[in-house]
Amino acid sequence: MEIGEGLMMLGKYIGAGLAMGIGAIGPGIGEGRIGASAMEAMARQPEMIGTLTTRMILADAIAETTGIYSLVIAFMILLVV
Amino acid sequence: MKISLTRSDKIFLGTVFAGYIAVMVYMLATGYKFQLEGVGQRWIYQLPFGEGPMSRINPLTVIMTWVIMALIIFVATRVKVFKIIPGKKQSLLEVAMEYVYDLVEDSVNKKEFVRPIFNIAASIFLFVLLSNIIGSFPGINAIPTDGGGFKITILSDTWYAPTSDLNMNLMLAGFVFVMSHVFSIKAKGFKSWAKSFFEPAWPMFPMNVIGEIAKPVSHSLRLFGNIMGGGILILIIGYLAKYFIVPVALWGIFGLFFGAIQALIFTILAIAYISSLID
Repeated sequence: MEIGEGLMMLGKYIGAGLAMGIGAIGPGIGEGRIGASAMEAMARQPEMIGTLTTRMILADAIAETTGIYSLVIAFMILLVV
Repeated sequence: MKISLTRSDKIFLGTVFAGYIAVMVYMLATGYKFQLEGVGQRWIYQLPFGEGPMSRINPLTVIMTWVIMALIIFVATRVKVFKIIPGKKQSLLEVAMEYVYDLVEDSVNKKEFVRPIFNIAASIFLFVLLSNIIGSFPGINAIPTDGGGFKITILSDTWYAPTSDLNMNLMLAGFVFVMSHVFSIKAKGFKSWAKSFFEPAWPMFPMNVIGEIAKPVSHSLRLFGNIMGGGILILIIGYLAKYFIVPVALWGIFGLFFGAIQALIFTILAIAYISSLID
C-alpha cells in the first residue's frame, strides 16, 4: 500500500470517529435534559404519564437530529468519499 | 389484551413463517455465508442517454415506491365502503386518520385550509410509515457487484425502504416546501407573501431566504439519516452476531419503533411548516 493511500485511510477513520463522537455530545445533553424534565413532571402528576411519555419520545426524536446529521457525515466519510 | 385471529389469518401467518424457516434451512444447508459486502452501496442504473448524475436512477427506489403505492391503493379499494360498525382494517385506518386530522386541526387556525392540508399530511404519513415499516422485515434486496451489475439477496437483508434514499426524502420535503408557499400565497395574497421576506427590515432578506431553504434540507436529512443509519447499524451488528436472534430485536427497534416515530415527526413538521406560513 502506498503511503498516500494509507494516510487517506487514516484520515478517514479518525475523521469519522471524531465526527460521530463529538456530534453525540449535544444530543446526549439535550435528551438527558428532556428526560429529567419529563421525570419531574411525571412525579408531580402521575395521572399524565401516558401523554408525557409520547411527548417525551417526540421531543427526544427531534433533539437527536443533530446526532443523526453527524452519523450521516460519518457514513459519508467512510463509504462515499 | 387478547388477540383473536380468524382461521384465514392463522393460515396466512403460518405460511409466511414456514416460508421464512424453509429459506433459512435452505441457506444454512447450501453453506450460505453472511457477509458485509455492499453495505451502504446502491444499485445505480446509468440510462443510455445523457451523462452525469442527472441520467442515473436507483431502480430499487422506483420499484419499491410503486409497490408501496400499489399497497396503499389496494387497501383503499378494500375498505371503500365505510360501515357504521367498523371492521378490523377500517378501525385501524380510522384511528390513524383521526390522529392526523386532530394534529392538523390543532395547528391550523384557518378553517378552509384544514381539509387540503389534512389530505397532504395523511398521504405523506401513510407513505412514509409504510415504507419505514417495510424496511424492518427480512425480504428481497439488491446489492451492486464490482462489475457494475447487481446481485439479488433474498432474506439476508431487509426489504429496501424507499425513505433510505435521499432523493425520495428530498422530493417529499421539496413538495412540502412548494405547497407551503402555494398555500401562503393563497391565504395572504402575493403582496403580503413577498413582504414577509423583508421582515422585520429589508437587510434581513438573505437571512429569511436561507431560513426557508434550510427547512427542506433539515426535514429530508432527518428522515434519511434515521432510516439509512438504522439499516446500516442493523447490518453491522447483525453481522457481528452472525444473524442469531439479535437482528429481530434490532428490526423491532429501528424498523417499527423509530420508523413509526420518524413518520409521525415528518408529518408533524410538514404540518408545522405549512401552518406557520399561512398565519
